This record gives sequence, structure tokens and C-alpha cells, in this order.
Amino acid sequence: MSVGHIARDIEASGIPTTAVYVRSFRHVAEAMGVPRVVSPLHPMGRPMGPPGDSARQQDVLESALELLESATEGGARCDLEQPYRPVGAD
Amino acid sequence: MTESFAEFRESFSYGTRSDLSFKFLKSLPDAEAAEFLRRLLEEVGETYDTGDIAAIIDLAIDAQIAGYRPDPDRPSRWTYTDRPFAPLTKPLAESRVGLLTSSGHFAEGDDPKPFGVPNMTQQEAEDRISEFLREAPILSVIPRDLPANKLRVRHGGYDTRSTLRDHNVSFPRDALLSARDSGRIGDISERLYSFPGATAQGRIKQLAPDWAGQMHEDEIDVLLLVPV
Repeated sequence: MSVGHIARDIEASGIPTTAVYVRSFRHVAEAMGVPRVVSPLHPMGRPMGPPGDSARQQDVLESALELLESATEGGARCDLEQPYRPVGAD
Repeated sequence: MTESFAEFRESFSYGTRSDLSFKFLKSLPDAEAAEFLRRLLEEVGETYDTGDIAAIIDLAIDAQIAGYRPDPDRPSRWTYTDRPFAPLTKPLAESRVGLLTSSGHFAEGDDPKPFGVPNMTQQEAEDRISEFLREAPILSVIPRDLPANKLRVRHGGYDTRSTLRDHNVSFPRDALLSARDSGRIGDISERLYSFPGATAQGRIKQLAPDWAGQMHEDEIDVLLLVPV
């Protein structure tokens, strides 16, 4: 919830924000009216992706950036459904 | 003394079996928690033969989502119907991007010293979680060019093992650097920010306008927020 308060105030002050919420907390972002939310199917504590997986981390960032470009109103959301797999698990 | 299944579930949330990746067991109803554990063991049995851990990971993530499911009978105090919106004012390739995370990162030598305690351990932060939840958060400034080995993290509310292996899982500086180097974004703010998100919600709501002012002082054009 902490980031929700910050997102709302910073956005209202004129700076566009984009936030990455793991799926467990997506409903918190929705309830709080967080302006732009990317929601990967990652476990808590690993919002950007597995450790060492720079490609996934960059993909999540790219989705957050694309949302900045595409959103036309507050509450925009993009769910990322790629499964969470540790590096070397395959 | 006999332990009930409910007591067993609750022990994972800052109890005798505390495990911040599985503290959600406290919130799962008995039947759902029991079924999760049964299926987990079943999948472990499969793994003996297949070596495939995917099903275990997916099962645990699904259970976590169920554990944090909102209770319709207890709506959050922090529910809003309005949706603030500020449009982009210039292309991202010309924009300076800021980063603010609730991961509890700070720079070596700039310990926020919660409750005045220097060098607090992760374990002590977990032990004192109820105090963190009553106090205002301290916002740490992390220089964009800080060497990675000078990054520190402490947060009593989540499993920090992953971020200790790679800070970028919750403090995505490298991804931002890649985006800058490829020209996707124009620049990265020299001052990045983090705080431990397990904090008093009323206090952070009071602080948010000040933090917004800080972002304007830094002249950032957009802000990436990463809650844990």
C-alpha cells in the first residue's frame, strides 16, 4: 500500500508514474487507484523477475515504459503472464 | 502441548517457523492451506522422477495470490475511486526517468538506522516488524552510479534472499541502464530512492506530498515505482 500513496501524490503533482506490482498485490493497486500498473506473475519480493535474469527484468521494465506511452487515463494495467522460472531451471 | 493446524499456519508469519515467502499461510483457510501442502508434496514426489520444478513454483505462486486475496467483508481503509493521471509530456527517449522502490535498499555508509539502531540485521528488522508498521518510513537516496557492491537492503516484511542475490529483482537499476544505453529512455535521475515499505500507512500518506516535491527538485520526467 505504501507505494500506492506515493504514486497517487506524485502523479497528481504532474509527474507520470508507472508501477510494477506482483500479482498477489495487484488488487491493492486497483483499490488505491494507482495510475499505471504492470503485474507480472512473479512471487512476492521479486517484482522484476528472477535473480540474474536480466532479459526478464528488462522485459518488465519495457512493459512499464509501454504503459506510460499507451495509457490515456488513470488505472491503466498490463498483466504479464510469463511464468516465473529461476535461471538455470530449464 | 498439541498444536492446532491454525497455529501451525500462523507460525509462518513472524512466529516460530517464520518464513516471509510463506507468511501468507496465516491467511489461507485451513482447507485451502491443507490442500496446498498436499499438492506441494505431490509435486515434490513428481520432481523425484522428472526434475521439473515448474509445477512447484507455479503452485506456490498461486497459493501466495490466494493468501493475499482481499477479504470482501473487510474492505481496505485505503480505497479510492478516483484515478490520478498525468500524461507524458515528451517522448521517453528524451525523458529523465526516476526510480523509487519500497524494497528497503540503501547505500553503504548511509544506513537509515531505524529506531536509531545502527547496522540493524535483517533478522532484527523481522523481529521488530510491528514497530516498523507504526513508524514513518525513512527515504534513502541511492546515487545512480553507486557500485553494486555498496548496495544494502533491509526490510522486515519480505524475503530479501532474492534481492541479495541480485539487487535488480527489486531495484532495477541495470534494466534502466540498459534502456538508457539503447536510447529507449533519455536519462536516469542521479538520485534514486528506496524505503522499507512495511511502514505506517497514515504516516506515509502524510509524507507523500514532500516526496513528490523531491521528485520535482530532481527534475525527473517520469517515475518508475517498484513495490515489493
